[in-house]
Amino acid sequence: MQSNRLGWILLAPTLVILFFFGVVPFFYVLWLSFHQWNPFALDPAVVYNGADNFRALVFDSGFLASLGVTLAFVFFAVLSELIVGYLLAQAFLKDFPGKAIFRTIHTLPLIMAPIIVGSIWKLMTTPSIGIIPSLLDSWFGFDLNIGTSAVAAFTVTVVMDIWHWTPLVTLTLIAALVSLPADPFEQAQIDGANKRQIFWHITLPMIAPALLATVFIRLMDALRTVDEVLMLTGGGPGSATRYLGVHIFKEVFPRTNYGYGSAVSIIVLYLTIVSCWLLYVALIAPRNKKA
Amino acid sequence: MRRQRTWLYLLFWTVVSFFTLFPIYWLFVISVKPAVELFSTPEVILSSVYWKNYVDVLNDETLRGYMVNSLIISTGNAFLVTVLGFLACYALSRFNLGGKESIFFWTITNRMAPPAVFLLPLFLLLTQVYRFGDFTLLDTKIGMILVYCTFNLPFAIWTLRPTIDGIPKELDEAAFVDGASAWTVITEIVLPLARPGLAVTLILTWVFAWNEYLLAATLTNFNARTLTTGLSEYVTTTGTEWGVMAAISMFTLIPALIVFSLVQRHIVAGLTFGAVKG
Amino acid sequence: MKFAYKLSVSAIALAMMTGASFAQDIQIKNPEWWQEAGKKFDGATLRGVTESTPASNYVADVLAPKFEELTGIDVQIETTSWDQMYDKAIKDMEAKTGIYDMVYIEQDIVYAYLARNFLVNLTKALDENAELKAPEYSEDNFTTFAENFRGSDGGLYGVPMEAFIKVYLYRTDLFNDPKIQAEFKEKTGKDLKPAKTHAEYTEIAKFFTEYGKANGMDLWGTTAQAHTGHPASWYEYFESVAPTYGVYNWGIDANNNYAATVENGGTMNSPEAKEALKWWLSMRDIAPPESVQSTWTEVATTFAAGRAAQGLVYGENAAWIATDEEKSRVVGEVGVALPPLEPGVLEEAESGKGYIGYYDGGAFGLPVTSKSQDAALLFMQFMALPEIQEDWAAAGSRITLTSTYDTPKVKEVDKELGGYYSMLRDDGKLFKGAPEYPFHRQVIEATSPTFYEILTGSIGPDEGLDMMAQKAEEELKNLGYRK
Repeated sequence: MQSNRLGWILLAPTLVILFFFGVVPFFYVLWLSFHQWNPFALDPAVVYNGADNFRALVFDSGFLASLGVTLAFVFFAVLSELIVGYLLAQAFLKDFPGKAIFRTIHTLPLIMAPIIVGSIWKLMTTPSIGIIPSLLDSWFGFDLNIGTSAVAAFTVTVVMDIWHWTPLVTLTLIAALVSLPADPFEQAQIDGANKRQIFWHITLPMIAPALLATVFIRLMDALRTVDEVLMLTGGGPGSATRYLGVHIFKEVFPRTNYGYGSAVSIIVLYLTIVSCWLLYVALIAPRNKKA
Repeated sequence: MRRQRTWLYLLFWTVVSFFTLFPIYWLFVISVKPAVELFSTPEVILSSVYWKNYVDVLNDETLRGYMVNSLIISTGNAFLVTVLGFLACYALSRFNLGGKESIFFWTITNRMAPPAVFLLPLFLLLTQVYRFGDFTLLDTKIGMILVYCTFNLPFAIWTLRPTIDGIPKELDEAAFVDGASAWTVITEIVLPLARPGLAVTLILTWVFAWNEYLLAATLTNFNARTLTTGLSEYVTTTGTEWGVMAAISMFTLIPALIVFSLVQRHIVAGLTFGAVKG
Repeated sequence: MKFAYKLSVSAIALAMMTGASFAQDIQIKNPEWWQEAGKKFDGATLRGVTESTPASNYVADVLAPKFEELTGIDVQIETTSWDQMYDKAIKDMEAKTGIYDMVYIEQDIVYAYLARNFLVNLTKALDENAELKAPEYSEDNFTTFAENFRGSDGGLYGVPMEAFIKVYLYRTDLFNDPKIQAEFKEKTGKDLKPAKTHAEYTEIAKFFTEYGKANGMDLWGTTAQAHTGHPASWYEYFESVAPTYGVYNWGIDANNNYAATVENGGTMNSPEAKEALKWWLSMRDIAPPESVQSTWTEVATTFAAGRAAQGLVYGENAAWIATDEEKSRVVGEVGVALPPLEPGVLEEAESGKGYIGYYDGGAFGLPVTSKSQDAALLFMQFMALPEIQEDWAAAGSRITLTSTYDTPKVKEVDKELGGYYSMLRDDGKLFKGAPEYPFHRQVIEATSPTFYEILTGSIGPDEGLDMMAQKAEEELKNLGYRK
């Protein structure tokens, strides 16, 4: 084994960059979250107000509602992406003609910027002039109106997210699946295991680290979704799709409520870290230690 | 039996591709329609094609500049984070560093931050703190490459870690015993084996950088503006120019497709590697 | 790495190409003065930020190159989206970075900027630097819209760049169709002509929505800027609809401790405000279905696509709706009128007590943090030269100098526009910009979630306005304006 000094040297550039561009801004936001600051208040100064922001948060119905819809959004979107993404990745492992083309097609949504995705879906779903409501109406007589129906708007944001991000899950899972060794599978087949047993007892444990890494990435990205939703619904109708990213955006940008917005961000960050940490400690860390 | 299977796959993928492609097809439809036609009952099949949006985009030098900026920033960032992430993962995987699991987890927390509120400190840091004489990182490509590390470097580390961990330690230990230097081991033994993971990481970090909007919108002004910020110019109070915006979006697909096809080969290479290894 | 190197080389090549953009041929009366004045600043670069509108794009594409040709001062204009523009300008001025030498100031945010002393007093600066004062520039040239940009010291803090009123547009082809007129007469017993009151407007709107349905046409009786998640709906109600019911300045009384609720002396939830909201909602219900997702952009496009017989539309869109065949299906079929009113509102507006609609627009201001203030002063005056206004008006349908009304191109467009420019000149005084509050977007963001709930129907309009008035007072208290 090499000396640990080399290890630290290899790690150093990463730590330095993340420190200067991640940690330092974080401390600024943390500091700000204990202050009242709106540059357009009568007194535009930054004033220390202790834990007032955090106290207000607990009773802020707007924030709590936003937290609720965000969790629902993340749950439906990420779960669907995982299931669909895994199935598609499996389907890509088989050989069939035209596979390369299909794989390229499948990755296309990924290369579209969120603001473009939001725009396309907005144009496709605008009541009466969008193609989707128009077709649904003429085929099934179903009225899809994302401007008035909270359920419709929520569903469209979830479907949009699935469309956009499933390819990410597929790609990372393909990478994980192709590097699996073949022996355990052969052994299992010899032992007469069925498909379901192989999946639960061999495939899943072996791809678990990659799968969880993907879950984490999708989880935290979905939690901070802004551009797409802002473009598609603006957070409406009402507050139906005012997800935390959008909520914070509106708090900080138009309302210039920096102190309170920072407090909201800190809480959101804290909740994300804690829930990810729990998942991580339970599922990944022991594995890495063994390795 | 085999043939039937093949047909089933083809049918399955055709259906999946239809759903994947439809929004992109619709983007194309929007790009070849005059704006006023978007506000009428839509037709699935195009009856006439209107190319003016594309002509406008092709004649716009500013947009070409944005395209170049986007390419430099996302390519630079993707290479930087993939290399740094690879080295970091190698360190985390092979060395017995104190608190390394905490460090590993901590890296990802950098990606969790809600972006809106972090714009202000980043703006202040880039303009006032990280400056060298008159040179500030604001509105520079190198500044954006570094800022994008906050969300891409954690991603690279997290997607590469399983790959590096999966490469048997015995391989590099054997090489060390044979007297190879650390550099040789990393570049000639670990790197080739990690290729599929590196390729996926490179693609995805490139995509994240290519698509980023909020940070670029705040932290660039004249010299380092990216295509996504250029798009926002077409969303105005006097009329969102959906057609032009869609035409630009179609153009942004081209470089992305090229990068994808270049890198995808390596994922395929990984496929055979997996088979051989077994 | 080689690849990246090649890319950066081609980036430099491209950047060099973009420098050579052409300047349209505009004639300046006194070029020698500008050449002389510019000598001092040769090689200087001015940076501005603005929203990408036709009027601003004209500044970037035509005025800036011409100015550079004359003075040798390079002008870079960053055009971006509406909310990005604010955010960037505010961050720059707040942090005193000095990135921008010119910022676009929409009429509704100037009071916030003035309260924070972000801007240079242009009147004073030019008085103190007589050698910088261009002979053709005079504050007297401006229309009354410039008054919006004067501080309490009387100085001018922004050079007006664009100005519009939100007008009542109607389709002349439909209103003048004898068959439709006959049918309308038969149904209502009245002649079909642009509405003067809300009752008349309602009648016409209902008639056309039914007419469209009966004839299988994509036609509705009114527009509505009623997005359920974007403040555009908030703006339409408070700035264009409520005033026509006599509820002014968002129902907030600045002279009475910024009261919003009726019990404290405000009018945000007054009976008139509630009536106005209910009327507007009833119009929204018979507007084209896309209205629930419509901001100003979509409303204009809805009208341009021929889907509405009448509606309130921002003036900056009136010109292209009436004249641009590529964007509009109703070219030459657009009439302009004053918004429909409740009785008594017009008298209040004429006496200066109230107003009948929204006067919108913006100016370029000079941040105190700018590092090239003197050179920027030159460009500010350049934009206000009478001789460059005519083409600019044609390109961006904006007028900020009184003399521009009489130029041939404007007069011609005025005819096609059904007299929009004449209305801007003659009746502009009946319209008013946003109230003089330094807390615009703060109050809007504090109250708009409730407003969106009213729009979706989950809160009733009466109860909703009560809640909004309370929320507004709460926010004003938090901000320190309401004691």
